[in-house]
Amino acid sequence: MAKISIDPITRLEGHGKIEIFLNDEGEVANTYLQIPELRGFEKFCEGRPVEELPRIVPRICGV
Amino acid sequence: MAKPKLALYWAAACGGCDVAVLDTNEKILEIAAFGDIVFWPIALDFKYHHVRAMEDKSIDLCLFNGAIRSTEQEEIAKLLRAKSKVLVAFGACACFGGIPGLANFTTREEILQRVYKEAPSNSNPEGTLPQVKTKVPEGELDLPDLFESVQTLEQVVPVEYFIPGCPPPSDLIVKVVDLYVTGKMPPVGSIVASDKTCCDECDRVKEEKKVARFYRPHEITTDPKKCLLEQGIICCGPATRGGCGMRCIKANMPCRGCFGPPAGVADQGAKMLSAIASIYQGDTPEAVNKMLDEVVDPAGTFYRFGLPDSMLKRKKVAKVQGK
Repeated sequence: MAKISIDPITRLEGHGKIEIFLNDEGEVANTYLQIPELRGFEKFCEGRPVEELPRIVPRICGV
Repeated sequence: MAKPKLALYWAAACGGCDVAVLDTNEKILEIAAFGDIVFWPIALDFKYHHVRAMEDKSIDLCLFNGAIRSTEQEEIAKLLRAKSKVLVAFGACACFGGIPGLANFTTREEILQRVYKEAPSNSNPEGTLPQVKTKVPEGELDLPDLFESVQTLEQVVPVEYFIPGCPPPSDLIVKVVDLYVTGKMPPVGSIVASDKTCCDECDRVKEEKKVARFYRPHEITTDPKKCLLEQGIICCGPATRGGCGMRCIKANMPCRGCFGPPAGVADQGAKMLSAIASIYQGDTPEAVNKMLDEVVDPAGTFYRFGLPDSMLKRKKVAKVQGK
């Protein structure tokens, strides 16, 4: 199937790409949004002192 | 004469560095007048295929923020290196690994398990994990692969300049832009910040560096005019490059090292450990054990922004595939 890729998506915070699959008539058969990033805050915050979390987790999103 | 071409990119990042550039306020208009920004995902709609189509070294200046921890981030770092005359590691993540570098205290596997399976808010009954290739009825989808470890930009491609900070202060960004525009950049390889430590530049009253015990912030009320370290609050100022304007200290928060190690120091955490040990009173085994109890999460505090850049690099893993 023909495919249009929007990579990267822009003018927002974060990474993403959109794949648009077109059928033979050129209509949209399906569209997928993918997030090609992972940093792991959910795991690496474990073991940090609780009073430090307000200084670590704002770095999830600086916007 | 054609205007210089500028690019900004974010790898394992939060957007804070891009916002810091925007926070130069009216200076951004001067930047836009001075150069053509040819790639900047937060603000402009250029795609990767536009960058791939550029001639090598056609980008005059590329500010690259974010750490490298996926195949896509490494690929784009190499792409922008090829297309750029000057590549700048912009911000603590690109310079030292940054907060995402804390992932080097854990493993890729532990992260995936926690994020996709164990986290209490998850609903993932089939235990699905992200895959590099996924078949869908219409075709196939690709995702980048995660590396075992987080790396700095320089560990992946050569870099001309380093602008530290989480994020770099907007006035430092303005200063660097002025240097670039007037052709007065410092020697290649420079870290564009102060040659002194944050501690040197701090204007708090310093008396004698002798500490009887360390406290966690809820255990004491500090005097806002006196050195935090001397009051028993762990402050990474002695092991951190200056140039940030003491913005954390001014908010009555101790330094956590986002400007990286000072000039001439190879390992920020080791420097900090040495600073702590040298000011603590008592050298008996009991005193040492007492100190160890009082310093909470030393590795995560002394290497908060710089684990990938340090001599430690990461926690040991039994088997490492790839990086």
